[in-house]
Amino acid sequence: MKEQEWKKEEGGTQGRHDEKSGMRNEITRRTFLRSSLIAGAAAGAAVNGLLPFIQTIEVAFGADSFSFAWISDSHLYPKTLNTRFVEKTERAINEVKAMKPAPDFLIYGGDLAQLGDPVELDLGAELLKSITVKKYYIPGEHDWYLDMGDKWMKLFGKPNWTFDHKGVRIIGLDTISRGPDYWSAKKMSQQERMGHMATLDGSVAGPWAGVGRDQLDWMSKTLSDWPKDKPVIVFSHNPLYEYYPPWNFWVRDWREVQAILKPYSKVTNVHGHTHQVLYNEIGSMRSIGMLATSWNWPYPPEGVPVLTTPMVRVDPGDHFDGVGWSKLAMTAADKVNNEYMMWRKDVFAQTQVDSGTGDNTNQILSPRFADRP
Amino acid sequence: MKRTLLYLAVPALCLALFILLSATPGMAHKAKHAPEQLKAFDDVFMEQVRIGDLLFHGDAATEKKMKTKLSRTGMACAMCHPFAVDNHPHEFPKFQEQINKFSTLRDMINWCIEKPNEGEKLDPDSDAMKALEAYIYWSNRGSKLDPGRH
Repeated sequence: MKEQEWKKEEGGTQGRHDEKSGMRNEITRRTFLRSSLIAGAAAGAAVNGLLPFIQTIEVAFGADSFSFAWISDSHLYPKTLNTRFVEKTERAINEVKAMKPAPDFLIYGGDLAQLGDPVELDLGAELLKSITVKKYYIPGEHDWYLDMGDKWMKLFGKPNWTFDHKGVRIIGLDTISRGPDYWSAKKMSQQERMGHMATLDGSVAGPWAGVGRDQLDWMSKTLSDWPKDKPVIVFSHNPLYEYYPPWNFWVRDWREVQAILKPYSKVTNVHGHTHQVLYNEIGSMRSIGMLATSWNWPYPPEGVPVLTTPMVRVDPGDHFDGVGWSKLAMTAADKVNNEYMMWRKDVFAQTQVDSGTGDNTNQILSPRFADRP
Repeated sequence: MKRTLLYLAVPALCLALFILLSATPGMAHKAKHAPEQLKAFDDVFMEQVRIGDLLFHGDAATEKKMKTKLSRTGMACAMCHPFAVDNHPHEFPKFQEQINKFSTLRDMINWCIEKPNEGEKLDPDSDAMKALEAYIYWSNRGSKLDPGRH
């Protein structure tokens, strides 16, 4: 209960470390239980010859079993410039196609393109065409800010949507299109606008990630006829809590989002954008960060949720390392499993020296200098 | 007598001139620093930080000006190192696993340019390298020196 109150006040995002060892010093009953679940799942995965760890979380209540897949953050350039991102997207697509039984649907979680170029978006649409199960798309900021979503919407339709599937209400949110206008006053070209948006650690585009009042009202209305004890899954590009605002690892109106979701006891948010293994809980909402197929982002210097079991340090010499996709399943036992399909043997760090957050204890960083006014 | 005086005067004058000339540059740090002077020093440094920041973020105009080709994949340094995170300049020199030798930060910068970015490595003493180094160090200032740490 104390932990719940602390998370409510702080957004549940504050990592705490022991200064000497660099290890997390908050071991709660919940994290202990979760670790036990993870250990059990790992043994099963090893027996079955599966590559990744399985993170088991309880989200379903009275739902039928089904599986689905998630791919996101492919950041495709035109093939003439960069083929490695195409190769990795193709690998994820082929693995989704090989799933037996086939997933009920695929979520593409945004940032299909790197610079919103129609060539990049067409390339992505063409690659994804070979997946024949039902596909749902939400946009990322890289898809949008060249032409403000014109091309993306022509290819993929509305950026937010909802449907019910086997006892679960599923919502796709657009967390990227409501950024403040940073371009008009400066008379930026479309390419300049996109360039600033595509710079994760830039300051010019500001706190662009948000759900917006109109979409909050839509979400509230969408959920109004849904029983409070039945499962809800919300897909979004950005995490729906405050993780690390300087990189827009949040939505700026996350408190309003939480207020709408609070009455529902079984909510799972699955999000992209952060390109890393990530897990958090805020109230009754569980939040799982997905891998990118393109490249891995290091954990920021602060704010990593204490409930996250950090991923390993990746090898920058191997561009297939630290990336992948996710296989998710709602089981008959009313649980949803998330299986990180990372293309390496060990996904989670076992020791500090191999942890992707291990260096946060001695790393003081400054926001960049050259884009300051 | 006159000739003796001349013999003495000429070396004395030469010595005085030598002391005067050699002492002048060395005297600079003994004078009080004026605020404008300190600002000038800082401006020199921050200009290198600015150039390094632009190179680090793949700014095409700066690359052209500095005659560099830091990437051929569309990737810029900052795409894996936003805010210069995980650069760890304070841990160099150290044994660098990827390079398989005892390495400096400049060695590592060149490895990243050549391998993941598929660009052209820099002369370790070039202006572009110094600017990148300035940006990375500035971004990580405050981190404790910890050379050799893996």
